[in-house]
Amino acid sequence: SSSRASCNMDAFKLMKELRVNHEHEVYYLPKETGLMLIESTTRDDNRISAKCRNAKVEDLWSLTSFFGYSTQTFVLAVNLLDRFLAMMRIQPKHLSCVSLSCLHMAAKVTEEECNLTPTDELIRIGQCRFTVADLGRMEKIVAEKLNFNSKAITALTFLHLYHQILLSHSTDRKETLNLEKLEAQLKACLCRISFSKAKPSILALSLLRQEIEAIQSEDMLEIACHIQRHLKIADGELLLWRERVAQCLSDYASPECSKPNHRKLQWIVSRRTAQNLHSYRIVPELPTIPEGCWDESESEDSCEDVMSSGEESLSSSLGSDAEGPFFPLHIRRQKHCQHLLT
Amino acid sequence: MGLAGAVCVLQEPSLRMCLTDVPASEQPELFLKKLQQCCTIFDFMDTLSDLKMKEYKRSTLNELVDYVTVSRGYLTEQAYPEVVKMVSHNIFRTLPPSDSNEFDPEEDEPTLEASWPHLQLVYEFFIRFLESQEFQPSIAKKYIDQKFVLQLLELFDSEDPRERDYLKTVLHRIYGKFLGLRAFIRKQINNIFLRFVYETEHFNGVAELLEILGSIINGFALPLKAEHKQFLVKVLIPLHTVRSLSLFHAQLAYCIVQFLEKDPTLTEPVIRGLLKFWPKTCSQKEVMFLGELEEILDVIEPTQFVKIQEPLFKQISRCVSSPHFQVAERALYYWNNEYIMSLIEENSSVILPIMFTSLYRISKEHWNPAIVALVYNVLKAFMEMNSTLFDELTATYKSDRQREKKKEKDREELWKKLQDLELKRGLRSDGIIPT
Repeated sequence: SSSRASCNMDAFKLMKELRVNHEHEVYYLPKETGLMLIESTTRDDNRISAKCRNAKVEDLWSLTSFFGYSTQTFVLAVNLLDRFLAMMRIQPKHLSCVSLSCLHMAAKVTEEECNLTPTDELIRIGQCRFTVADLGRMEKIVAEKLNFNSKAITALTFLHLYHQILLSHSTDRKETLNLEKLEAQLKACLCRISFSKAKPSILALSLLRQEIEAIQSEDMLEIACHIQRHLKIADGELLLWRERVAQCLSDYASPECSKPNHRKLQWIVSRRTAQNLHSYRIVPELPTIPEGCWDESESEDSCEDVMSSGEESLSSSLGSDAEGPFFPLHIRRQKHCQHLLT
Repeated sequence: MGLAGAVCVLQEPSLRMCLTDVPASEQPELFLKKLQQCCTIFDFMDTLSDLKMKEYKRSTLNELVDYVTVSRGYLTEQAYPEVVKMVSHNIFRTLPPSDSNEFDPEEDEPTLEASWPHLQLVYEFFIRFLESQEFQPSIAKKYIDQKFVLQLLELFDSEDPRERDYLKTVLHRIYGKFLGLRAFIRKQINNIFLRFVYETEHFNGVAELLEILGSIINGFALPLKAEHKQFLVKVLIPLHTVRSLSLFHAQLAYCIVQFLEKDPTLTEPVIRGLLKFWPKTCSQKEVMFLGELEEILDVIEPTQFVKIQEPLFKQISRCVSSPHFQVAERALYYWNNEYIMSLIEENSSVILPIMFTSLYRISKEHWNPAIVALVYNVLKAFMEMNSTLFDELTATYKSDRQREKKKEKDREELWKKLQDLELKRGLRSDGIIPT
């Protein structure tokens, strides 16, 4: 019973933490009008569109994954990016620099120093055109505009809290939610700017509810509803976001692959390899000599008769020795002797 | 005809006349006489001897070349044996042995044929003779027979690339015009290659013979004869194992691809053959194999691709991890090929798991930064192809790594505990710390 009591204590503490985060999440929301402006922009060389923001966030995910950064770093980077884009009008050509700054800033907060990728490597792998100094300057600008402090409350914050709450309530440990799977799904949602309009607590709860429904756990459903009541989230709002999340996740899980819709990647190879790539594909000089069905009939060679009688089967095992009358006798004998020796 | 005989002939006034100077009725006879004259062989190793006679023969040969190219009605039945005799006298000879035993065809300069000023014209003449509108194979086949072809093939071992180039054209024309010799020629080339692969690893004319074969393969009738398929599997594939592959690889790859375009069902045995003979110690060869493989994949049918994708990508996965950066680079560049990418996309659920571990590992561990950048491109492509699978594999990889790290840590702690125990035991007994 004492363990039950400590469990209850944990549950109580968690709920309190939940409430506090919920109160403050609004401070970390990107400006909605700014987001809507981006969403409504179509092809325009002077303004960021939803399409190019989404593509850039996918790039950020690629880099996060490549450098072994955590999901936390990624989510924080996207949060910084969206907040900045929602308040500042920037030209598309600067988007690379802005997004990479956000990634680097987020990594400095979340990752251990020994795991931080140096900025020149970030730029090189990201195939960007600006310098390390440019990146440094941009970081300062972003930090200033966002009054950046290291704590940002994101959907991931709530996902972790919800997960802990579920764990603390579970009696038999039979059913647990896969946190990694939820994180991957969150990542998929964040690649679409529309989800940046959602309150992090609601977005996280939507993901939670979708997964609970998938595994059909009544206990967990009860706890989830308890959370919803605790945070006073309206049914209508939750339903709206759950529908959108469901749509996004079905696209994410579909077997059809998406073709990259942004600029082609650079394939830089060494000079020697580049020289050899196509130089040795020969263009035939000699004209084709068509084989005629009358070929063999005019020949005086005796081996013709042997070959025209029936099809020989193609041996698929290439280790077999030279066989058949087509091959000279002394080669066959040689191979046979080798066989005897082994 | 000895040298003295040649001088006598020279002194005959009629022979000093050009073919174009005499009336048409006398031309055939003069033609024959000039052919006979050119049967005399001069020694070019001695650069100072018989300069005047050499020049005379050269100009006569030149004349014959021009004559054969434009004239009409010169080719009587008597001409055929004389032409073949003249050509045989001039070109059929024992090839000089190589200067050194260690002649490396890839590195050393070839020994050129000293008598080239005459030899070239003889070849030139012979080719135009074969290509002439008046040429009749039915007459010629009495003189251009198996024995002639056999001697011709031996000449392909000449070190002089110019001579081999002419021989290539000559044999190509003979193959085209003499249907009765075709099977024989194929069989002899077969023998040459087999001897080359399994006995000597020495023959200078492999590239030229392969070029001829390319034009023959290109013309194969469908369905392919069993003989041809055997040739592919028993001769062309093993040719890949030879040390001097770089000298003829382009031509060999062309032959292979032509075969596959004729009969796509040969794809599986061909690729399995290449994988079986994949170079293990020679990186330059590995790069060649990768190039050839890409050419094959460029024309592969999707149904065939599916049959060999697993062993194929297991090998590519090894190449990508190669510490030799050119091998890794060449393998990674496959992902820049649109058609290959489309095949990979269709089968990403099979291919991605095979490639994933090596790609991820070398992104962290490879010494060459250019390789790391290319790996990023490949991983990004996979990520976009199949996000769910990619995320699963990443998660598995990470947890595997964590498990490994924990094991290592446990092991270290165990050793540390043992060390501490040892120390304590040592101290208790006699107070002296054991060394």
